[in-house]
Amino acid sequence: MIFNDIEVMFGGQAGDGSLTTGDLIAGVFKHMGREVYTYKDFPSRIRGGHTNYVIRASDHANYGMADFVDCLVAFDLEAVQKHIDEMRPGGFIIFDNTDEKIPDDLRRDDVFIYEVPLGKIAKHDLGLEIVRNTVSLGVIAELTGMDPDVVRGDVTKVYQRKGEAVVEKNIAAIEAGAKYIRENYNRPSGYAQSQSTDGDRLIMMGNDAIGYGALVAGCRFMAGYPITPATDVLEWMAKYAPQYGGVVVQAEDELAAINMTIGAAFAGVRSMTATSGPGQALMTEGIGLAGVIEVPIVVIECARAGPSTGMPTKTEQSNLNHLIFSGHGEIPRVVIAPGTVEESFYLTVAAFNIAEKYQVPVFVLSEQALCQSKATLPPLEMSTVTVDRGKLQRNGALSVGEYNRYAFSDDGVSPRAIPGVEGGMHLAPGSEHSDGGVITEDARNREKMMEKRMRKLVSMRPDLPKPNILGDASSRIRIIGYGSNRGPIAEAQDRLAAAGLPTAFMQLRTLWPFPEEEVKAFVEGADHVFIIENSFTGQLDRLIRYVVGPRETVHPVLKYNGKPFRPIEIIDAVAKFAPVREPAGVR
Amino acid sequence: MATTITAKDFATHTASWWCPGCGDFGVIAALKQAAAELELRPKDVAFVSGIGCSGKISGYFNSYALHGVHGRALPAATAIKLANRDLTVIVAGGDGDGYAIGAGHFLHAVRRNPDMTYVVMDNQTYGLTKGQSSPTSALGYVTGTSPSGNPDAPINGLAIALAAGGTFIARGFSSEPKAMVEMIKAGVRHPGFAIVEVMSPCVTFNKINTYKWFKDNVYHVSDDPAYDPTNRTHAFDVLMKPGKIPLGILYHETRPTLESLTIKDNPAIAGLKIEELSPKFASIQDQYR
Repeated sequence: MIFNDIEVMFGGQAGDGSLTTGDLIAGVFKHMGREVYTYKDFPSRIRGGHTNYVIRASDHANYGMADFVDCLVAFDLEAVQKHIDEMRPGGFIIFDNTDEKIPDDLRRDDVFIYEVPLGKIAKHDLGLEIVRNTVSLGVIAELTGMDPDVVRGDVTKVYQRKGEAVVEKNIAAIEAGAKYIRENYNRPSGYAQSQSTDGDRLIMMGNDAIGYGALVAGCRFMAGYPITPATDVLEWMAKYAPQYGGVVVQAEDELAAINMTIGAAFAGVRSMTATSGPGQALMTEGIGLAGVIEVPIVVIECARAGPSTGMPTKTEQSNLNHLIFSGHGEIPRVVIAPGTVEESFYLTVAAFNIAEKYQVPVFVLSEQALCQSKATLPPLEMSTVTVDRGKLQRNGALSVGEYNRYAFSDDGVSPRAIPGVEGGMHLAPGSEHSDGGVITEDARNREKMMEKRMRKLVSMRPDLPKPNILGDASSRIRIIGYGSNRGPIAEAQDRLAAAGLPTAFMQLRTLWPFPEEEVKAFVEGADHVFIIENSFTGQLDRLIRYVVGPRETVHPVLKYNGKPFRPIEIIDAVAKFAPVREPAGVR
Repeated sequence: MATTITAKDFATHTASWWCPGCGDFGVIAALKQAAAELELRPKDVAFVSGIGCSGKISGYFNSYALHGVHGRALPAATAIKLANRDLTVIVAGGDGDGYAIGAGHFLHAVRRNPDMTYVVMDNQTYGLTKGQSSPTSALGYVTGTSPSGNPDAPINGLAIALAAGGTFIARGFSSEPKAMVEMIKAGVRHPGFAIVEVMSPCVTFNKINTYKWFKDNVYHVSDDPAYDPTNRTHAFDVLMKPGKIPLGILYHETRPTLESLTIKDNPAIAGLKIEELSPKFASIQDQYR
């Protein structure tokens, strides 16, 4: 039987190499022409503690997890205990029975268990315990119909830098795993891959796409403080920016990071920082400074489960309020949220142009389920990238006459001179100031200056990423969401449509300034509107209600256990209010 | 430039907010004089300050100036220097801005050794918030927030800088403008992080550490012919010894600057032509195929 879609979960202890093997499996599926999405669910520690890595491969773009796990690779009993309830009826488990046995009361009639002594095969037959993961890869390859040539090729590529002997050992491990299944189990797994071939595509992590987008957009300065799950951006930039004349600083804390980002931007460099909830909280004062001295900065926020330290390695969308409302006083700011790895690249480019054109801080909001996930995507088009530096004055001397850094203007944006430009000297003060940058508390000036800065929120509208509408916009059932939820929502939509219930989905890509008109129009005329988000209080839901007023037709669908939505959860939520023809949970 | 640069070129038309008699007047005058004698150009100077009476100083110095948030001037200044090595970067702050809220950044700026000059105006009190105790206030100092006397031992900023690997450490006194000008000039010329602490009395709130008190309680290390400002032990000795306060260039050494270690051959990142996309950008994605 040929399947078009499979979700493999690797479960074991952190530090046992499952990340490497998970990446390997993702690569194999990609090279077989599958569309891939990965999700890392690991503990906030280096060694030990249950970790799992989900790899989903389909013949269609998915951008999210499936309803259930088809194939669980359990390196220990804990992995079975934790995940057997997530298995699809008819799915199977590959269990390493070297040291542990599965008790009968844990088993399920509808889930077959392949008991394979992975550790023993590695240690005794191959003489190298560390290749246990690769033995399991051989087992998976045999049971899921992987292309053996691709598997061998990818394993060779991954282990090449460790030398020929290591490559050979791992190739032998694949064979040993496959052989064990052939010799001990005379039953087909029921899984094989439908035919497709790898075209010109990429497989990339969300954070890498953000770093890449920043580099191409001309970002040449980054300051950051390591924090999960944003550190990858800092590391990506540390690797590449210096090759293009840029510099990356690991700051002493987020207070320094944001102020460094502001300093470099003040000096005329496209600059950014990347952080997550706790670090974002520390940056709040700096964001206000950037807003009032009108310095363009980009702040990448990779959200995780809060509050306080929360769950650093788990996903959540609970920092939206913070990005939009945090800080004392009022500044113009922008919050944009990519929904896919591909969008993470293009929207980061957009963020730099918006920041510089309107001289405001711009947040790019991602989440653990997107920024540390990998997905397949078409090649990124460099030709679509343009760099718009707005009213930057950096060539030669300014025209004769008085230069006012904060000159009042119709669009709220003033010519920005950077150090080194003759005639552009000015003070950029965090205190309220005149158009000439002189600190003043004059009441009339204060009004005019507040209005000037806030005018940007209106003038920037044409440049803000518009919402994506998926499905038939005239459907009576409508869904709103953003970020990583794009994947599971779109998939739920397809399946609801197949079950006779067409829906429209608005994926918000600009969250601030809030797209009031679009959202209002979208909510109008719907029988039901579902707001899908990962938070307890329904932060997006409240924003929407604030705009459209209280309505009985708007239903928040909330998840706050640190895990991303699976499509079935969205389908079930919708089905409560809009009966569907058949159970949509069956693929 | 044919015309001679004078201190006037660094003056702004902004009226000062400082109290008459404030020690900071001596500091701004010395800064303008030093900048003129160094023949700096206002367009090539980035002046950064924090918050407090000391922070106001950036408004009185004609250049590109950033008056940022409390305690965070040094990170902003560090990045400005990295963004454009051609700029002369001057940072000014006070004992509160530098040694309390900004203490962490102070330590890391010293450690990184970016080429800039940091002037700390120490008045041993919080002036702008009307006279509370500061990190350099003496034990027992009575203020609104320490009515029973300040219980916190004062911080020794220069000794901390020395311990953290400071490469230029000096202390001046607001009443000695000539010496201050020379110190600032030496600090700006120094290839690395130069800290110049200035005893700058607060005539309004600090009735103990007055001009007269300082005159009676300072001495100049240059008066001792055996004092060697390249000897760290000498510097530690005078900085740690209780009693009179040492003035002068207390210590200097040369080690690589932050810029020289991070930006090998690119003097001014700010001048990069980022509008022209590199043809190499597209090939980065090959590794993701």
